Amino acid sequence: MIEILHLSILATILISGFLALWFRNLLSSVISLSVLSLFVSLEFFYMQAPDVAIAEAGIGAGLSTAIYIVALRAVGKKQFRKEGEH
Amino acid sequence: MNPLSVVARTVCNLFAWFLAIFGIYVIVHGHLTPGGGFQGGAVVATFMAFLLVAHGGEKMQSWVRKDRFTLMECFGLTLFISAGLLGMSKTFFFNFLAKAGGVFGGVLPIGPNAGALNTSGTIALMNLSVGIEVVGGLSMILLYMFSAAHPQEPMGREESGHDR
Amino acid sequence: MKARIFFLISILVVGGLLWSGLQAVHPFGLPNGTPMDDYFIANAQGEAAANNVVTSIVFDYRGFDTLGEGAVLFTAVISVAALFRKRGHN
Repeated sequence: MIEILHLSILATILISGFLALWFRNLLSSVISLSVLSLFVSLEFFYMQAPDVAIAEAGIGAGLSTAIYIVALRAVGKKQFRKEGEH
Repeated sequence: MNPLSVVARTVCNLFAWFLAIFGIYVIVHGHLTPGGGFQGGAVVATFMAFLLVAHGGEKMQSWVRKDRFTLMECFGLTLFISAGLLGMSKTFFFNFLAKAGGVFGGVLPIGPNAGALNTSGTIALMNLSVGIEVVGGLSMILLYMFSAAHPQEPMGREESGHDR
Repeated sequence: MKARIFFLISILVVGGLLWSGLQAVHPFGLPNGTPMDDYFIANAQGEAAANNVVTSIVFDYRGFDTLGEGAVLFTAVISVAALFRKRGHN
């Protein structure tokens, strides 16, 4: 049972990391990175390192998401565009 | 930056205080439970990030003052260094406060036990000083970044966040 | 074309080194103890008088490194404040 939980945590890390690259909307990418950080924190807790889990949940899921959101709203771009497009 | 909608502001106003209480708990119980000064300080700084994202930079600038956080950071680092330098005749951090002495001078029994809050000598003091420093530093970073961000979104709109 | 060949060679080299390193990793969930670990687990509670062994390592045995960490954070705050300061007035 605990192995299935662990494998699902690892699969969620992979899926959210893929979605962070796949989304065209930049805000969705940032939220997906936050979900990735949260599940990395769960993985640290499973590996019996609760110190690192608290630091990851505080910095990765909280602070860096806030900094990315303020950067997005300051730049004002909503979509990722390739070069050459308008 | 414009504030978010009423729903987001209400949720952030409620849950930010739980984050602050949890962060202060992690800092104070650093020598008993997992965590310490750095982790607890990061959680308390997340409290500031919640309020900043929900209410925007201008309103938070009128609520808190930046120089207080500068003072907190400098006070924490100075406390750390001075408590380390107290016993420089032997080694760094080996002073009369270590293991027994001062407020945190309780006797700790060896072996598995529940622990008490007034044990561990210098470690609790170091946790408090590093926690104060990290809270001041990360809040300063967030406040500076939010105050320097000039919004490119159309001004005059009262709220943002549901604008897509 | 030359850059693509270079990327392919570098991926092969790094992947081969990673694969050869993964062969020597001990099984998951079985930490192999070192003399340093055993010393800390046996003596940290008596020497540092704290129940949390990780905190006693970070703040007591390796306290000077924690001072360096604080200095790094202080430098980061100073550089952010210098980058995002208000120009002109104030």
